[in-house]
This record gives sequence, C-alpha cells and structure tokens, in this order.
Amino acid sequence: MNKPGPFSWNRLQDKWLSRRNLIRGAAGTALGAGLLRPKLVYASDDDGDAEHPACIGPNPIPGGVTGLKPFGIFIHHNPLSPTTAIADISDPSQITDFDGFVGLTHIRGGGTGTDLATGATTRLAFQADMGFSQGKFIGTDGRQHRGTFAFV
Amino acid sequence: MYTGPAGSAKLAEQIHDYNVHVDRNDVFWMIPVRHDAVEVDFDASRARLRVRGLDVFDDHDLANSLTQGLGLPTTPPIPGVFPVRAKVSFDVEWDGALATAQIENSSQHFKGSFLRTGATISWSAEQSGFRFQSDTPPDPKANLVSVLGHEQNGVFFFT
Repeated sequence: MNKPGPFSWNRLQDKWLSRRNLIRGAAGTALGAGLLRPKLVYASDDDGDAEHPACIGPNPIPGGVTGLKPFGIFIHHNPLSPTTAIADISDPSQITDFDGFVGLTHIRGGGTGTDLATGATTRLAFQADMGFSQGKFIGTDGRQHRGTFAFV
Repeated sequence: MYTGPAGSAKLAEQIHDYNVHVDRNDVFWMIPVRHDAVEVDFDASRARLRVRGLDVFDDHDLANSLTQGLGLPTTPPIPGVFPVRAKVSFDVEWDGALATAQIENSSQHFKGSFLRTGATISWSAEQSGFRFQSDTPPDPKANLVSVLGHEQNGVFFFT
C-alpha cells in the first residue's frame, strides 16, 4: 500500500509500531483500554437482533489519499477540494459497503482560546474537516447493520 | 487549530488537532454516535450533525495524528507529541444546494446523488487547562466546500 519514499517508510513504520505499542501499554496501565478510542456502540443489527449489538464496526473504503507527502501515509479518506466540481468528486464516504446519507465539510474560521489557569484569551484559527454517514452497512462481521457515524 | 489569522491552516502553526483516531480496522476518524445526532432532509438540501461532549484526542497537529505521535523529520522537524484527552461539541449544518450531480463511478464503486452545499459549524473544545469556542454566530463564508450525498458504495454499488 505504502511504498518506500525518500524518507524510509519501513524505518518509520518500525518506530511507529514500537511507539504505538508503547502508547497502548502506557494507556492501558494508566487509564485502561478506553483511552485509545471510545468503544464502538450504537450500531445495531438491521433486523433488530440484539445478539451482536456492540463492537461491530464498518470497513474502510479501499481508496483514499496519501497524506503528508513525501512521507507516504495512506488514509482511507478523500478530502474535499474547493476546485473539484461536484460531478468529479471521489467517494466522500470513509466506510465501504454502505448505503445511506453522507455529509462532508471543509470549513476554515476563527474563535477564541482560553487559558483556564490564567483566564488569558487568544484569537485562533481553525479548519474543520468533518462529516457523517448514516445508513446501512456491511460490518466487519459480514452482516448488515444500520448505524450513524460522525467523521471527527 | 492554528495560531495564524482566521482562515489560515498552516501545519507549522498548528497547536491542536482533535480527532477520534483511526480505528483498529483502518476506518479513518469515524465514531458511532446516536442516531438522532444526525438529521437529514436531502430533498431540502439540508442536514445537521450535533454532538456534545464527545471524547477525542488532541494530537497537537496533523503530522502527529497521522504518525501516531512520532512527528515528522521535516525542515524544521515536527517533534513527536503524546496525545491528550479532550472533549469536543459541535453543531454542523449543511444548507442550500449550490450544485448537484448524479455520479456513477465504476472505478471507485460508488454512485448516488450529490449536492455541493453551504455549511456552517459552531464548535467548542475543552481539555486540561484550555478551552476553545468558535465564533458565534458562525460565518457562512468560512465554508470552503461542503457536500451532501445519498450514495451506495462497495457491495451496494452493484444493487
């Protein structure tokens, strides 16, 4: 999927995995397994069968983009571009085997940051690439489910 | 979040990056939410996503998010940063079709009806020692590009 580039991807990957394990270990020790990601919930079987109500996630779209070039970090996401006509967009969904509604945004704006220790405020900029998917999908268990997902 | 002026988004100026991380199955930044967090009226070209107090990570910047805290050996280098917990709340609205398209993409295996729309976001973040609130009311001109779709992909592309 990711080819070696000017920067050694294999070396990054080795380091990445080591760091990832370290993070997982530290997280597990300090705060429990919940630190790394909120648990998958809310996705329900399409037929209402509650036998497998939790921990059933979707699968990623096969495509996507390579971010942070030239470092070659592949992500299963097609960012929106203001210069691409709507008829020419790539799949805006992050999940595959999906039938439903999808929304994506690419918004830049401003706001106020507050240092809670001193009360000092600072003007800051933000970029929000966010969205949702809502509908039916084939989950990692090979069964059809309905779910609502936020892209955050 | 960036230290530059509103509308800017330079990686070197990024100081917060909130996301839910890639899941164990490589799904990118998606998290299940309550069904009623999303309201869609596709025929009216409207949708809304509202979530309060969602647990996320602050990876500091996109590079650390995508490298899981390793940073990048750029010039100047982006140092590795350990993620910290945060909570975000957001209210995103898609409203008003600016352009429409019927797409059937046989190479990516997706099809459906798609709208380019206006959009706004109001959001806030809170973590140890720091809080952020986006400008209210949100500025519709801040929307660079937003899309709503009713689509089928993967196995549903063939149905």
